[in-house]
Amino acid sequence: MPTLTPPETSPVLDASDAQRRQTARAEDAATARRARRAQLVRYLGMPLFLSIVLLVLYLWVAGQELDSIEARTLTMDNLLGQTREHLTLTLYSTFFVLLLAVPFGILATRPRLRRYAPIIIGLGNAGQAIPSLGLLALLFYVFRTQDALPSTGTFPVVVSLVGYSFLPILRNTMVGLDQVDRFVLEAGRGMGMSNGRVLRSIELPLAVPVVLAGVRTALVLNVGTAALAFLFGGGGLGETIFAGFQLRRTPVLLTGAVLVAVLALLVDYVAGLIEEKLTPRGL
Amino acid sequence: MSDVTNADPLARIGEEADLGETMIELQELTKRFPGQETPAVDRLSLKIPKGEIVVFVGPSGCGKTTSLKMINRIIEPSSGHIIMDGEDVTTIDPNHLRRRIGYVIQQIGLFPHIRIGDNIATVPQLLGWDKERTAKRVDELLEVVGLPPDEYRDRFPKELSGGQRQRVGVARALAADPPVLLMDEPFGAIDPITRTRLQNEFLRLQSELQKTIAFVTHDIDEAVKMGDRIAILQEGSRVAQFATPEEILTNPANDFVADFVGTGATLKRLKLTRVREVQPSEALIGRVDEDRETLRRRFDESEWTAMLLLDADGRPLRWLRGTDLRQTSRPLDQVGNRTRAMVEPQATLSDALEEMLLGAAGVAIVVDSRGAYKGLLDIDDIITSIQTMKDAQAEFYRAAKLADPEAEVPA
Repeated sequence: MPTLTPPETSPVLDASDAQRRQTARAEDAATARRARRAQLVRYLGMPLFLSIVLLVLYLWVAGQELDSIEARTLTMDNLLGQTREHLTLTLYSTFFVLLLAVPFGILATRPRLRRYAPIIIGLGNAGQAIPSLGLLALLFYVFRTQDALPSTGTFPVVVSLVGYSFLPILRNTMVGLDQVDRFVLEAGRGMGMSNGRVLRSIELPLAVPVVLAGVRTALVLNVGTAALAFLFGGGGLGETIFAGFQLRRTPVLLTGAVLVAVLALLVDYVAGLIEEKLTPRGL
Repeated sequence: MSDVTNADPLARIGEEADLGETMIELQELTKRFPGQETPAVDRLSLKIPKGEIVVFVGPSGCGKTTSLKMINRIIEPSSGHIIMDGEDVTTIDPNHLRRRIGYVIQQIGLFPHIRIGDNIATVPQLLGWDKERTAKRVDELLEVVGLPPDEYRDRFPKELSGGQRQRVGVARALAADPPVLLMDEPFGAIDPITRTRLQNEFLRLQSELQKTIAFVTHDIDEAVKMGDRIAILQEGSRVAQFATPEEILTNPANDFVADFVGTGATLKRLKLTRVREVQPSEALIGRVDEDRETLRRRFDESEWTAMLLLDADGRPLRWLRGTDLRQTSRPLDQVGNRTRAMVEPQATLSDALEEMLLGAAGVAIVVDSRGAYKGLLDIDDIITSIQTMKDAQAEFYRAAKLADPEAEVPA
C-alpha cells in the first residue's frame, strides 16, 4: 500500500510564490533593459548629434555658390589641418597643466601648507575672472620682450593656455582632496597607513571625480581659448573664423565657428567618458 | 580630594585591589591643544588590565575621546607615557604601533571605493601577508561578524546598512588579530535595536577573543553593560572613579559620579546580577499526575495561598487556589490561573523584576532552558539581593581602608 506523505508546502502557496518570483524576475529584466537603453542613448546620443550638425554644415556649404576666396579657405585639407592644430594645442596644454597643477594642489593641501589653502583657492577663483584674451596678450608681450623665448608658434600659445587653465585644475584638486571624509582618513591612519599610502590609496582615488571635473572644464576652456592662438601664429580654427569675419564671408565664419563648437562638445564628451571610467566604483 | 591621578582614595583602592596583568598603562598622559589654556587631558594615569574592557565614560568635552586617541597616537600626547605590554610606545613609529592596535570609530570610516573584503584586508596587506592567508582571514572574519562571505565580500560599503557597516568596521579592526582594540563610541550612530544586538554579539565575541579593549562612550548604560571596569572621567580626563560597574553603581566615589550615574543606579545594578546568582525559594508544588486528594491535603497543611501545578515534564502549568482544588467538575489543568512571569537562569534580575511587574503576582518562576521548574523568585528576593550587594561593597571598602591607611594620603 502506498504511503501518503503530506506535501511540505501547500501547492496553492507554491504556485503563487513561483508566480511572484516570476513577476519579480520579469520586472528586474525590464529595469535592466531600460537601464541599457538609457546607457546607449547616453553613449551614442552626443556623437550622433555632432555627426548630424557636421552633415548639415557640409550640405549647407556645398549648396552655396562659393566665390574664389571662400573656395580657397574652405578646403578639406585646410580645415582638417587647422582642426588638428587646434586639438594639439588643447591636448598639449591640458597635459602640461595636469603635470603642474595636480602636484601643486596636493602640496597645498598637506598639513604644513594647509593654512594657505583658502588664499590659494581665492586666487584661483579671482584668476578665472581675467579675460582670456587679456591674459594671452599679456603673456605675448612678456614673450616678445624676452629674446631667449620664441614669441610665435605653438610654444607661447601652450604656455598661455597652461597659465589660463592652471587655476581651475588647481582649485578642483584642492577641493577634491578637501572633501574626502576626514573619518575615512582617520580610519586609514588609525590602522597604520603611512601618509603617502593614505594619499595614494584613499585621498587621490576619492578626489578623482572632482579633479576630473576640473580637467573637463579646463579642456573645454582650452578649446575656446585656442581659437585665439592664430593671433600668435599658433594656427588652429581661429584662422578660419577670423578670415571669415574680416573678409565678410559668412560661410567661412560659420564653418569655423561650428567646427570649434563641435570640437568643444566632442572633447567634453570624451572627457566625460574618461571621467566615468576613472571614477572608482562604490562612490 | 586633591588632584587628578590620585583622584580619589576609593578609586585607588579599587585599582590596586584586584587588577590582573596590565596590558596598557597610561602614565601622566597630557594633551594641550595649541591656543587653549587648559589641557584637554591633564595628567591621566590609568592601568588597563589584559583581556578586559575598560570603558571611558563621561560628559561631552571631558577629554575621553582625546585620551583614547592618544593610545594609538592619532593625537600625539604633549607629555606622559604610554606603556603597552611592558614596552614604552610613546616614541616608536606610530604606523607600526597602530598595526598592533585595532581601531573602531563611531563614523566607521570604511573606504567607500574599496570592496568589503579588501577593506577588512587593510592591515594584513600593510603587514605583507600573502594573498591566500589574507583571503582566508577575511572570510573567517566575515563569518564571525555574521555576514556570509560569498554574499558580502565583493560589495561596496554603500551597499550595506549602518549596522552591517559597523560589523565590517569591527571585522576590519580584528583583521590582524591585534591584542588591543580601541573603540570610540562604536555603536553610537546605530539605531537602538541594532545597537543592542551589536553590543550583545560583541560581548559574546569578546568572551572568546579576550582582547584588551579601551572603549569610549557617553552613555552610562552602555558603560555598565560593556565594561569589566569603568573609568568615569571629569573635565580634563580627571578620573572621578575607576572601578567595576558594581562598585560604581553601589558606591559612587563622589557627587560627580553619583550625578553622572543618575537616579536609576539601583535599577541599573539589577542588570548586573543574573537570576542564577540568587538562591530561589521553593513553591508549593503539585504534579498533574498526582491524586487530587493528595494535592488538597498538601495545600491545606501548608501556609501557601496557591499551589503551582507542574505537568509530567516538570513544566509549570497553573496556579491553583483552594477553591480550584476543592471543586471536582473540571480537571485541574483547566482551572486556576495560567502561569506567567517565567525567567531562565541567565536572565538578569532586571528582566525578572519586569516579568514580576507584568505578571502582577509579585513572583517569577525560574525555569531551565527546557522550561522545567527550578524555583521561585519573589520581589523580596530581589530586595534582599540588592541589600547584600550593598553590604558586601561597604564591607570591602572598610577592609581595604583598614589594610591600607596610606590610601587616604595622595600619592
